[in-house]
Amino acid sequence: MTASTSSIASVMAGPAGHRGWRARLAAWRVPLSILALCLLPWLLPSNALAVNVLVYGLLAVGYNLLFGYTGLLSFGHAAFFGAGAYVTGIAIGRFGVPWFAALLLGVAAGAALAFVIGLLSIRTRGIYFSMVTLALSQLVYYTALQASSWTGGENGLRGFTVAKLDILGWSIDFLDPIKKYYVLMVFAAAALWLVSRILNSPFGAVIEAIRENETRARACGYDVERTKLIAFTLSGLICALAGTLFALHLAIVPLDILHYQTSGMIVMMTLLGGAGSFFGPFVGALAFLLMEDVVSLWTSHWQIVVGTVFILFVLFLPKGIWGTLIAWRADR
Amino acid sequence: MTSQGTYSITRRSALAGLAAGSAALAMPALVRAQGESIRIGFPTPLTGPFAAEAKDQVKSAELAVKLVNDKGGIAGRKVELLVRDDKLNAGEAATRTLELIEKDKVHAVVGALSSAVQLAVNEVTRARGVIYVSISQSDTINEVKDFSRFTFHEALNPHMTTAAVAKHTFKPGSKIAYLVADYAYGHEMLRGFKRAQAAIGATSVGEILHPFGAADYSTFMPQLRAMRPDILCICNFGRDQANAIKQAVDFGMNRQSKIVVPVLLHNQRLAVGPEAFEGVVGGANYYWGLEDTIPSAKAFNDAFKAANGGAYPTDYGAYGFTGVSSLLLAMAAAGGPDTDKVVAALEKLQYDVAKGPQHYRACDHQSVQSVLVLESKKKAEMKNEADLFKILAIEPAAESILRTCSELGFPA
Repeated sequence: MTASTSSIASVMAGPAGHRGWRARLAAWRVPLSILALCLLPWLLPSNALAVNVLVYGLLAVGYNLLFGYTGLLSFGHAAFFGAGAYVTGIAIGRFGVPWFAALLLGVAAGAALAFVIGLLSIRTRGIYFSMVTLALSQLVYYTALQASSWTGGENGLRGFTVAKLDILGWSIDFLDPIKKYYVLMVFAAAALWLVSRILNSPFGAVIEAIRENETRARACGYDVERTKLIAFTLSGLICALAGTLFALHLAIVPLDILHYQTSGMIVMMTLLGGAGSFFGPFVGALAFLLMEDVVSLWTSHWQIVVGTVFILFVLFLPKGIWGTLIAWRADR
Repeated sequence: MTSQGTYSITRRSALAGLAAGSAALAMPALVRAQGESIRIGFPTPLTGPFAAEAKDQVKSAELAVKLVNDKGGIAGRKVELLVRDDKLNAGEAATRTLELIEKDKVHAVVGALSSAVQLAVNEVTRARGVIYVSISQSDTINEVKDFSRFTFHEALNPHMTTAAVAKHTFKPGSKIAYLVADYAYGHEMLRGFKRAQAAIGATSVGEILHPFGAADYSTFMPQLRAMRPDILCICNFGRDQANAIKQAVDFGMNRQSKIVVPVLLHNQRLAVGPEAFEGVVGGANYYWGLEDTIPSAKAFNDAFKAANGGAYPTDYGAYGFTGVSSLLLAMAAAGGPDTDKVVAALEKLQYDVAKGPQHYRACDHQSVQSVLVLESKKKAEMKNEADLFKILAIEPAAESILRTCSELGFPA
């Protein structure tokens, strides 16, 4: 059903033919997204940037599940991103856990943290919800800062470089940037499929119903609090996966990853790409990181340029890059 | 209608593909063109609170490269400096370093200006066997856990800085109060001072931690006054240092006790002015006034002034020069950028490029070098705008002010 596929744009969908085009695009969205990700390292100026787009894109996709589809503006998603990264790093560096198990641990820890923070925050609404998530994630930040014997504190977590991956008897050189990208991409692809599956399920329809009209969803008999909590936890889980991939990629976990600026950046990427669209967050992460990367090579005043672009986007493309493209196609 | 839509998409993607394809084809040509030069990556925080120091570092590093290129480069190859903004963010620095290594194929990395950022760069270069010359203070990078055979620490470390400053300011029986920034830098400086204090026989009358980036220190001052210290030791960096000293002077702390800082910053003193800093004592890796006694300092100052419209080099700026120069000297000795040969050459290198003799200690690759102890001048004593400090003492380059190799965890 098209209603659950995406976005505000669907409300203003054109004639039936376009609906068919949009439906086909929606049906193929996971393979198409994966194809785009496969091409990414060959199109971007560097592989390190490609991996960052992958990681932050996935992070924004996870965030979008809560913000774009459920309609909850969280300012604390850095906590789950960081939790995934720290737990993976500590598991490998301190306990010598194999990388795959460490990855699962990171995801589990992030999801558990999301469950707890979700439990405490979803009963508030609007600005209060944003503030509670912000406060709780700052709590996580200061915990990581103080627990420096575990996290490295200010200096960040180090000493867990994974140089080789052993997968079913195969040994992969994980320092090779292209191989690293494609290994990490497998996880991102799996997560994309999972998110798509969630959005297409009845549960996906319910979270969108809550976004559109919470009172009505409640009147229809849905348990709004429980649904929100599940959406919050799933969103945290995807973000934690992005965190574990970040840790495996850079082999360090800087303390900044938990800072509220990271939370703000996630919101910006999602808005830039288009909240409430499936592939939008990836486009947002790509645009954000590419702009930063390229402009900061030209000039040390890159912040002025990036800031101006943001203002222009907010003024003229409030649906974000991808959201606007989709709406534009639907209008024609 | 639908089919039309599909067509236009195909055309678009074909165009995009073409553009991407030609860009990809152009890439190897670029790489080939660079093949002849020796490339040095230089990540540094051009934006953020340490931007002033970072820009000085870039100027000095560029000068070091220019001086070598003017003499024909290294083994006939030109040297190229690739400056990248790390935004004072460890994740960004690691990404930039990966780019420099993987895409730009740099032969070595120099730079970073924060404990966390240099440790991130160190982690990336260590895993990939790339030479890294670190030019920011840290004790952690000397320790065996973060040691890399390919990393050389050109900057002073908090331990040696505080040892030198304490030696020339603390007396047996002195009462010392500490105001410390509550993060890695402050903690490492405090640890160093307390160690020196115990050795000298001074006593601590109290420690107060303040949050990183605090603007208001007025609540701490009455407490510090009540401790009646002979010496007020302020362990923080950048703007925090300027703010804390200004407010301590407003509270008349300088009449009651001597104000001592681990690192007396050229740029902060310039920003605040001579009155507040008058009589403040602190350490430094470099001060241009060394030129009266050290010929290499004179040569560095003259070259820097000629290249930068008469501006004087600063303390943190000089790290850029000494760090890049030592690396280039080693490359010249090794006859090229081959990593193993350059590492061996760096380990053997005895160099004097700006501040007198220096060399890298074998176990931890820390640069053994002199530490200056400076005092901020009165306005009346200043001969010109850049005449900020009086050199109280020069602690000579010696391993005795470093922690021993076994203390850092290296096998004896």
